[in-house]
Amino acid sequence: MFEKIKDIIVENLGVKEEEVTLDASLTDDLGADSLDAVELIMAIEDEFDISINDSDAQAMKTVQNIVDYLNK
Amino acid sequence: MMKKLIINNKESKYPIIQGGMGIGISLSRLSIASIKAGIVGTISAAQPGFLSKKFKSDTLNSNLEALAREIKTVRDECPDGILGVNVMYAGTNYDEYIKFLSKQEIDFIVSGAGLPVDLPKYLKGSSVKPAVIVSSGKAAKIICKKWMRSFNVLPEFVVVEGPLAGGHLGFSKEEIESGDYKSLETLLEEVLIEVRKVEEEYKVSIPVIPAGGISTGEDVARYIEMGSAGVQVATRFIATEECDVSDAYKQKIVNAREEDVIFVPSPVGLPGRAIRNAFTDALKTKNQKIKYCVDCLRVCAKKDIPYCITEKLGNASGGDAENGLVFSGAKAYMIDRISTVKEIVEELISECKYCFE
Repeated sequence: MFEKIKDIIVENLGVKEEEVTLDASLTDDLGADSLDAVELIMAIEDEFDISINDSDAQAMKTVQNIVDYLNK
Repeated sequence: MMKKLIINNKESKYPIIQGGMGIGISLSRLSIASIKAGIVGTISAAQPGFLSKKFKSDTLNSNLEALAREIKTVRDECPDGILGVNVMYAGTNYDEYIKFLSKQEIDFIVSGAGLPVDLPKYLKGSSVKPAVIVSSGKAAKIICKKWMRSFNVLPEFVVVEGPLAGGHLGFSKEEIESGDYKSLETLLEEVLIEVRKVEEEYKVSIPVIPAGGISTGEDVARYIEMGSAGVQVATRFIATEECDVSDAYKQKIVNAREEDVIFVPSPVGLPGRAIRNAFTDALKTKNQKIKYCVDCLRVCAKKDIPYCITEKLGNASGGDAENGLVFSGAKAYMIDRISTVKEIVEELISECKYCFE
Protein backbone atom coordinates (compact mmCIF):
# COMPACT_ATOMS: atom_id res chain seq x y z
CA MET A 1 0.00 0.00 0.00
CA PHE A 2 2.71 2.44 1.06
CA GLU A 3 4.69 1.81 -2.12
CA LYS A 4 1.68 2.51 -4.30
CA ILE A 5 0.91 5.75 -2.45
CA LYS A 6 4.56 6.73 -2.61
CA ASP A 7 4.47 6.42 -6.39
CA ILE A 8 1.37 8.62 -6.62
CA ILE A 9 2.92 11.25 -4.36
CA VAL A 10 6.21 11.28 -6.27
CA GLU A 11 4.35 11.66 -9.53
CA ASN A 12 1.93 14.35 -8.34
CA LEU A 13 4.08 16.45 -6.06
CA GLY A 14 7.31 16.10 -7.99
CA VAL A 15 9.30 15.07 -4.91
CA LYS A 16 12.07 12.47 -4.57
CA GLU A 17 11.17 8.95 -3.50
CA GLU A 18 13.31 9.09 -0.36
CA GLU A 19 11.47 12.18 0.84
CA VAL A 20 8.20 10.27 1.03
CA THR A 21 8.29 8.70 4.49
CA LEU A 22 5.28 7.69 6.59
CA ASP A 23 5.87 10.62 8.94
CA ALA A 24 6.19 13.19 6.16
CA SER A 25 3.71 16.05 6.34
CA LEU A 26 2.17 16.77 2.96
CA THR A 27 2.47 20.53 3.34
CA ASP A 28 5.55 21.02 5.54
CA ASP A 29 7.80 18.23 4.24
CA LEU A 30 6.51 17.56 0.74
CA GLY A 31 5.64 21.16 -0.13
CA ALA A 32 2.04 20.51 -1.17
CA ASP A 33 -0.15 23.62 -1.38
CA SER A 34 -3.95 23.45 -1.30
CA LEU A 35 -4.08 22.86 -5.06
CA ASP A 36 -1.60 19.98 -4.84
CA ALA A 37 -3.58 18.43 -2.00
CA VAL A 38 -6.83 18.41 -4.00
CA GLU A 39 -5.00 17.02 -7.03
CA LEU A 40 -3.33 14.31 -4.95
CA ILE A 41 -6.62 13.17 -3.43
CA MET A 42 -8.17 12.93 -6.89
CA ALA A 43 -5.20 10.89 -8.12
CA ILE A 44 -5.64 8.50 -5.18
CA GLU A 45 -9.37 8.23 -5.95
CA ASP A 46 -8.52 7.33 -9.54
CA GLU A 47 -5.86 4.81 -8.60
CA PHE A 48 -7.97 2.98 -6.00
CA ASP A 49 -11.30 3.60 -7.71
CA ILE A 50 -12.84 5.09 -4.55
CA SER A 51 -14.46 8.34 -3.53
CA ILE A 52 -12.98 10.26 -0.59
CA ASN A 53 -15.29 12.80 1.01
CA ASP A 54 -14.05 16.34 1.68
CA SER A 55 -13.81 16.09 5.45
CA ASP A 56 -11.80 12.86 5.26
CA ALA A 57 -9.60 14.45 2.61
CA GLN A 58 -8.98 17.52 4.77
CA ALA A 59 -7.95 15.29 7.68
CA MET A 60 -5.10 13.80 5.63
CA LYS A 61 -2.07 15.73 6.81
CA THR A 62 0.65 13.07 6.59
CA VAL A 63 1.48 10.11 4.40
CA GLN A 64 0.57 7.88 7.36
CA ASN A 65 -2.95 9.41 7.43
CA ILE A 66 -3.46 8.41 3.79
CA VAL A 67 -2.17 4.88 4.36
CA ASP A 68 -4.43 4.49 7.42
CA TYR A 69 -7.46 5.72 5.52
CA LEU A 70 -6.88 3.31 2.66
CA ASN A 71 -6.28 0.39 5.01
CA LYS A 72 -9.63 0.88 6.71
CA MET B 1 -14.01 40.96 -33.30
CA MET B 2 -16.27 41.57 -30.31
CA LYS B 3 -17.65 38.37 -28.86
CA LYS B 4 -20.87 37.50 -27.09
CA LEU B 5 -20.66 36.79 -23.40
CA ILE B 6 -23.37 34.39 -22.24
CA ILE B 7 -23.92 33.68 -18.55
CA ASN B 8 -26.84 31.66 -17.21
CA ASN B 9 -28.38 31.61 -20.71
CA LYS B 10 -28.49 35.41 -20.82
CA GLU B 11 -26.46 37.43 -23.26
CA SER B 12 -24.58 40.51 -22.09
CA LYS B 13 -24.64 43.40 -24.57
CA TYR B 14 -20.91 43.95 -24.05
CA PRO B 15 -18.44 41.25 -22.89
CA ILE B 16 -17.41 43.03 -19.69
CA ILE B 17 -17.96 41.97 -16.09
CA GLN B 18 -17.90 44.64 -13.41
CA GLY B 19 -15.76 42.94 -10.78
CA GLY B 20 -16.90 42.51 -7.18
CA MET B 21 -15.23 44.86 -4.69
CA GLY B 22 -15.54 44.82 -0.92
CA ILE B 23 -16.15 46.22 1.56
CA GLY B 24 -19.17 48.16 0.39
CA ILE B 25 -17.68 49.22 -2.96
CA SER B 26 -19.75 47.17 -5.38
CA LEU B 27 -23.30 46.95 -4.12
CA SER B 28 -26.64 47.68 -5.80
CA ARG B 29 -25.94 51.15 -7.19
CA LEU B 30 -22.83 50.08 -9.09
CA SER B 31 -24.49 46.87 -10.29
CA ILE B 32 -27.57 48.73 -11.55
CA ALA B 33 -25.39 51.20 -13.44
CA SER B 34 -23.32 48.35 -14.87
CA ILE B 35 -26.31 46.37 -16.06
CA LYS B 36 -27.88 49.50 -17.56
CA ALA B 37 -24.62 50.22 -19.38
CA GLY B 38 -24.82 46.77 -21.00
CA ILE B 39 -22.35 44.81 -18.88
CA VAL B 40 -22.52 42.23 -16.08
CA GLY B 41 -22.98 43.45 -12.48
CA THR B 42 -21.34 41.87 -9.41
CA ILE B 43 -22.22 42.58 -5.78
CA SER B 44 -19.51 41.87 -3.21
CA ALA B 45 -20.50 39.65 -0.28
CA ALA B 46 -17.55 40.94 1.79
CA GLN B 47 -19.25 42.45 4.87
CA PRO B 48 -22.08 44.30 3.08
CA GLY B 49 -23.73 44.72 6.48
CA PHE B 50 -20.79 46.73 7.83
CA LEU B 51 -22.93 49.81 8.44
CA SER B 52 -25.71 47.91 10.19
CA LYS B 53 -26.17 48.58 13.92
CA LYS B 54 -25.98 44.90 14.76
CA PHE B 55 -22.98 44.21 12.53
CA LYS B 56 -20.61 43.49 15.43
CA SER B 57 -23.09 41.40 17.44
CA ASP B 58 -24.73 39.50 14.59
CA THR B 59 -22.38 39.71 11.64
CA LEU B 60 -23.75 36.85 9.56
CA ASN B 61 -27.37 38.01 9.63
CA SER B 62 -26.41 41.66 9.08
CA ASN B 63 -24.56 40.59 5.97
CA LEU B 64 -27.28 38.24 4.68
CA GLU B 65 -29.97 40.88 5.18
CA ALA B 66 -27.83 43.46 3.38
CA LEU B 67 -27.25 41.05 0.49
CA ALA B 68 -30.96 40.32 0.12
CA ARG B 69 -31.72 44.05 0.18
CA GLU B 70 -29.03 44.92 -2.38
CA ILE B 71 -30.10 42.12 -4.73
CA LYS B 72 -33.75 43.16 -4.50
CA THR B 73 -32.82 46.77 -5.24
CA VAL B 74 -31.04 45.68 -8.40
CA ARG B 75 -33.87 43.37 -9.48
CA ASP B 76 -36.52 46.05 -8.97
CA GLU B 77 -34.67 48.19 -11.51
CA CYS B 78 -33.12 45.53 -13.72
CA PRO B 79 -35.16 42.32 -13.65
CA ASP B 80 -33.40 40.81 -16.66
CA GLY B 81 -29.77 41.90 -16.38
CA ILE B 82 -26.95 39.53 -15.53
CA LEU B 83 -26.22 39.86 -11.82
CA GLY B 84 -23.87 37.86 -9.63
CA VAL B 85 -22.35 37.89 -6.17
CA ASN B 86 -18.69 37.47 -5.31
CA VAL B 87 -18.17 35.36 -2.18
CA MET B 88 -14.60 34.82 -0.99
CA TYR B 89 -13.90 31.18 -0.28
CA ALA B 90 -11.66 32.19 2.62
CA GLY B 91 -14.58 33.87 4.37
CA THR B 92 -16.11 32.47 7.55
CA ASN B 93 -19.53 30.80 7.14
CA TYR B 94 -18.92 30.34 3.42
CA ASP B 95 -21.53 27.59 3.21
CA GLU B 96 -24.17 29.77 4.93
CA TYR B 97 -23.67 32.53 2.35
CA ILE B 98 -23.91 30.11 -0.57
CA LYS B 99 -27.03 28.38 0.78
CA PHE B 100 -28.68 31.76 1.28
CA LEU B 101 -27.63 33.11 -2.12
CA SER B 102 -28.76 29.95 -3.91
CA LYS B 103 -32.34 31.12 -3.27
CA GLN B 104 -31.80 34.70 -4.42
CA GLU B 105 -32.56 36.18 -7.82
CA ILE B 106 -29.01 36.16 -9.10
CA ASP B 107 -27.34 34.49 -12.06
CA PHE B 108 -24.05 33.39 -10.58
CA ILE B 109 -21.85 33.16 -7.54
CA VAL B 110 -18.16 33.66 -8.21
CA SER B 111 -15.56 32.59 -5.66
CA GLY B 112 -11.84 33.13 -5.39
CA ALA B 113 -9.53 33.63 -2.41
CA GLY B 114 -8.85 29.91 -2.20
CA LEU B 115 -10.01 26.98 -4.29
CA PRO B 116 -13.82 26.75 -3.92
CA VAL B 117 -13.92 22.96 -4.21
CA ASP B 118 -17.43 22.60 -2.76
CA LEU B 119 -19.23 25.68 -4.17
CA PRO B 120 -21.60 23.63 -6.40
CA LYS B 121 -22.64 21.47 -3.45
CA TYR B 122 -25.02 24.17 -2.26
CA LEU B 123 -26.37 25.03 -5.70
CA LYS B 124 -28.09 21.74 -6.53
CA GLY B 125 -31.52 22.48 -7.93
CA SER B 126 -30.84 26.23 -7.94
CA SER B 127 -30.75 28.35 -11.10
CA VAL B 128 -27.69 30.16 -9.68
CA LYS B 129 -24.53 29.09 -11.50
CA PRO B 130 -21.11 28.55 -9.90
CA ALA B 131 -18.09 30.42 -11.29
CA VAL B 132 -14.50 30.61 -10.14
CA ILE B 133 -11.57 33.02 -9.91
CA VAL B 134 -8.14 31.41 -10.39
CA SER B 135 -4.57 32.61 -10.66
CA SER B 136 -3.07 29.66 -12.56
CA GLY B 137 -3.83 27.12 -15.26
CA LYS B 138 -3.33 24.41 -12.69
CA ALA B 139 -6.09 25.79 -10.46
CA ALA B 140 -8.46 25.99 -13.45
CA LYS B 141 -7.70 22.38 -14.36
CA ILE B 142 -8.17 21.09 -10.82
CA ILE B 143 -11.43 22.94 -10.14
CA CYS B 144 -12.98 21.68 -13.40
CA LYS B 145 -11.94 18.10 -12.63
CA LYS B 146 -13.08 18.32 -9.00
CA TRP B 147 -16.49 19.93 -9.78
CA MET B 148 -17.16 17.49 -12.59
CA ARG B 149 -16.23 14.51 -10.43
CA SER B 150 -18.09 15.55 -7.28
CA PHE B 151 -21.05 17.48 -8.68
CA ASN B 152 -21.19 16.78 -12.41
CA VAL B 153 -21.02 20.51 -13.12
CA LEU B 154 -18.45 22.83 -14.70
CA PRO B 155 -17.79 26.51 -13.98
CA GLU B 156 -20.21 28.90 -15.69
CA PHE B 157 -17.13 31.01 -16.38
CA VAL B 158 -13.53 31.21 -15.19
CA VAL B 159 -11.97 34.53 -14.17
CA VAL B 160 -8.16 34.62 -14.42
CA GLU B 161 -6.85 37.16 -11.95
CA GLY B 162 -3.36 38.42 -12.73
CA PRO B 163 -0.73 40.28 -10.71
CA LEU B 164 -2.08 43.79 -11.39
CA ALA B 165 -5.38 43.29 -9.55
CA GLY B 166 -6.38 45.20 -6.45
CA GLY B 167 -6.54 43.98 -2.88
CA HIS B 168 -5.19 40.56 -2.00
CA LEU B 169 -3.35 38.79 -4.75
CA GLY B 170 -2.92 35.10 -5.36
CA PHE B 171 0.83 35.60 -5.27
CA SER B 172 3.18 35.60 -2.29
CA LYS B 173 5.13 38.59 -0.98
CA GLU B 174 8.36 36.95 -2.16
CA GLU B 175 7.01 36.42 -5.67
CA ILE B 176 5.85 40.03 -5.89
CA GLU B 177 9.05 41.51 -4.47
CA SER B 178 11.36 39.45 -6.67
CA GLY B 179 9.24 40.07 -9.74
CA ASP B 180 9.03 36.30 -10.07
CA TYR B 181 5.44 36.07 -11.20
CA LYS B 182 3.66 35.51 -14.46
CA SER B 183 1.94 38.25 -16.43
CA LEU B 184 -1.81 38.17 -16.98
CA GLU B 185 -1.14 37.32 -20.64
CA THR B 186 0.86 34.22 -19.65
CA LEU B 187 -1.69 33.16 -17.04
CA LEU B 188 -4.52 33.63 -19.53
CA GLU B 189 -2.73 31.43 -22.05
CA GLU B 190 -2.22 28.73 -19.39
CA VAL B 191 -5.86 28.82 -18.33
CA LEU B 192 -7.12 28.84 -21.92
CA ILE B 193 -5.12 25.69 -22.65
CA GLU B 194 -6.67 23.88 -19.66
CA VAL B 195 -10.20 25.14 -20.26
CA ARG B 196 -10.08 24.29 -23.98
CA LYS B 197 -9.32 20.67 -23.04
CA VAL B 198 -12.35 20.58 -20.74
CA GLU B 199 -14.55 22.21 -23.41
CA GLU B 200 -13.39 19.63 -25.93
CA GLU B 201 -13.97 16.69 -23.58
CA TYR B 202 -17.46 17.70 -22.44
CA LYS B 203 -18.59 19.59 -25.56
CA VAL B 204 -19.37 22.76 -23.64
CA SER B 205 -18.33 26.39 -23.79
CA ILE B 206 -16.74 27.98 -20.72
CA PRO B 207 -16.01 31.71 -20.98
CA VAL B 208 -12.52 32.62 -19.75
CA ILE B 209 -12.33 36.17 -18.39
CA PRO B 210 -9.02 37.89 -17.57
CA ALA B 211 -8.92 40.41 -14.71
CA GLY B 212 -6.43 42.66 -12.98
CA GLY B 213 -5.15 45.96 -14.34
CA ILE B 214 -7.45 46.02 -17.37
CA SER B 215 -8.14 49.68 -17.92
CA THR B 216 -8.29 50.54 -21.61
CA GLY B 217 -10.19 49.40 -24.69
CA GLU B 218 -6.86 48.36 -26.15
CA ASP B 219 -6.46 45.93 -23.22
CA VAL B 220 -9.96 44.60 -23.89
CA ALA B 221 -9.17 44.07 -27.59
CA ARG B 222 -5.84 42.38 -26.81
CA TYR B 223 -7.35 39.86 -24.42
CA ILE B 224 -10.27 39.08 -26.70
CA GLU B 225 -7.81 38.59 -29.54
CA MET B 226 -5.96 36.08 -27.34
CA GLY B 227 -9.12 34.02 -26.94
CA SER B 228 -10.89 35.32 -23.85
CA ALA B 229 -14.68 35.67 -23.94
CA GLY B 230 -14.54 39.10 -22.34
CA VAL B 231 -12.79 40.92 -19.51
CA GLN B 232 -13.42 41.87 -15.90
CA VAL B 233 -12.91 45.49 -14.90
CA ALA B 234 -13.18 46.71 -11.32
CA THR B 235 -10.99 49.61 -10.14
CA ARG B 236 -12.04 51.89 -13.00
CA PHE B 237 -15.62 51.68 -11.82
CA ILE B 238 -14.71 52.98 -8.36
CA ALA B 239 -14.27 56.47 -9.78
CA THR B 240 -17.87 56.75 -10.92
CA GLU B 241 -20.85 58.70 -9.65
CA GLU B 242 -22.75 55.44 -9.20
CA CYS B 243 -20.16 53.47 -7.21
CA ASP B 244 -21.46 52.63 -3.72
CA VAL B 245 -18.27 53.65 -1.88
CA SER B 246 -17.71 57.02 -0.13
CA ASP B 247 -16.59 60.10 -2.08
CA ALA B 248 -13.39 60.18 -0.01
CA TYR B 249 -12.45 56.70 -1.28
CA LYS B 250 -13.22 57.69 -4.87
CA GLN B 251 -11.05 60.81 -4.51
CA LYS B 252 -8.12 58.71 -3.24
CA ILE B 253 -8.34 56.71 -6.46
CA VAL B 254 -8.62 59.82 -8.61
CA ASN B 255 -5.67 61.56 -6.91
CA ALA B 256 -3.36 58.53 -6.79
CA ARG B 257 -0.07 58.87 -8.65
CA GLU B 258 1.86 55.81 -9.83
CA GLU B 259 4.10 55.82 -6.73
CA ASP B 260 1.07 55.92 -4.44
CA VAL B 261 -0.05 52.44 -5.50
CA ILE B 262 1.78 50.23 -3.02
CA PHE B 263 1.73 46.83 -1.32
CA VAL B 264 0.70 46.50 2.29
CA PRO B 265 1.02 43.48 4.57
CA SER B 266 -2.28 41.99 5.63
CA PRO B 267 -3.66 39.82 8.43
CA VAL B 268 -3.86 36.85 6.05
CA GLY B 269 -0.17 36.96 5.21
CA LEU B 270 -0.65 37.76 1.53
CA PRO B 271 0.33 41.13 0.11
CA GLY B 272 -2.49 43.50 -0.72
CA ARG B 273 -2.36 46.32 -3.25
CA ALA B 274 -3.60 49.63 -1.91
CA ILE B 275 -3.29 53.40 -2.14
CA ARG B 276 -0.73 54.96 0.20
CA ASN B 277 -2.28 57.06 2.96
CA ALA B 278 -1.79 57.98 6.64
CA PHE B 279 -2.78 54.44 7.61
CA THR B 280 -0.26 52.68 5.37
CA ASP B 281 2.46 55.10 6.55
CA ALA B 282 1.64 54.35 10.20
CA LEU B 283 1.74 50.63 9.45
CA LYS B 284 5.42 50.84 8.54
CA THR B 285 6.40 51.48 12.13
CA LYS B 286 3.84 49.66 14.20
CA ASN B 287 0.91 47.30 14.18
CA GLN B 288 -2.51 48.84 14.71
CA LYS B 289 -4.62 48.07 17.74
CA ILE B 290 -7.37 45.53 17.06
CA LYS B 291 -10.62 46.99 18.37
CA TYR B 292 -13.02 44.17 17.63
CA CYS B 293 -13.24 40.90 15.72
CA VAL B 294 -16.19 39.64 13.71
CA ASP B 295 -14.29 36.50 12.67
CA CYS B 296 -14.49 37.50 9.02
CA LEU B 297 -11.85 35.24 7.50
CA ARG B 298 -11.01 31.63 8.26
CA VAL B 299 -7.44 32.34 7.24
CA CYS B 300 -6.83 35.26 9.64
CA ALA B 301 -4.47 34.43 12.54
CA LYS B 302 -6.44 36.91 14.73
CA LYS B 303 -3.40 37.44 16.97
CA ASP B 304 -0.19 39.39 16.25
CA ILE B 305 -1.68 40.74 13.06
CA PRO B 306 -0.79 44.20 11.64
CA TYR B 307 -4.40 45.43 11.71
CA CYS B 308 -7.99 44.26 11.34
CA ILE B 309 -8.87 44.09 7.68
CA THR B 310 -12.63 44.41 8.11
CA GLU B 311 -12.30 47.47 10.32
CA LYS B 312 -9.81 49.24 8.04
CA LEU B 313 -11.53 48.44 4.72
CA GLY B 314 -14.93 49.26 6.19
CA ASN B 315 -13.76 52.59 7.58
CA ALA B 316 -12.16 53.64 4.31
CA SER B 317 -15.26 52.58 2.42
CA GLY B 318 -17.45 54.56 4.81
CA GLY B 319 -15.46 57.78 4.35
CA ASP B 320 -12.21 57.71 6.34
CA ALA B 321 -9.92 57.17 3.39
CA GLU B 322 -6.85 58.45 5.28
CA ASN B 323 -7.02 56.15 8.30
CA GLY B 324 -8.64 53.20 6.59
CA LEU B 325 -7.40 50.81 3.91
CA VAL B 326 -7.96 51.82 0.28
CA PHE B 327 -7.54 48.66 -1.78
CA SER B 328 -7.01 49.36 -5.47
CA GLY B 329 -5.80 47.84 -8.71
CA ALA B 330 -2.36 48.69 -10.12
CA LYS B 331 -3.66 51.08 -12.77
CA ALA B 332 -5.54 53.40 -10.40
CA TYR B 333 -3.04 56.16 -11.22
CA MET B 334 -4.42 56.34 -14.77
CA ILE B 335 -7.77 57.49 -13.43
CA ASP B 336 -7.99 61.26 -13.19
CA ARG B 337 -11.65 62.08 -12.76
CA ILE B 338 -14.99 60.83 -11.57
CA SER B 339 -17.15 59.78 -14.51
CA THR B 340 -20.11 57.47 -14.98
CA VAL B 341 -20.23 53.74 -15.59
CA LYS B 342 -21.89 54.34 -18.96
CA GLU B 343 -19.10 56.69 -20.05
CA ILE B 344 -16.40 54.21 -19.09
CA VAL B 345 -18.13 51.28 -20.80
CA GLU B 346 -18.69 53.29 -23.99
CA GLU B 347 -15.07 54.44 -23.99
CA LEU B 348 -13.76 50.88 -23.49
CA ILE B 349 -16.00 49.52 -26.22
CA SER B 350 -15.28 52.23 -28.79
CA GLU B 351 -11.51 51.94 -28.17
CA CYS B 352 -11.79 48.19 -28.45
CA LYS B 353 -13.74 48.37 -31.70
CA TYR B 354 -11.20 50.85 -33.07
CA CYS B 355 -8.41 48.36 -32.35
CA PHE B 356 -10.25 45.67 -34.28
CA GLU B 357 -10.78 47.85 -37.34
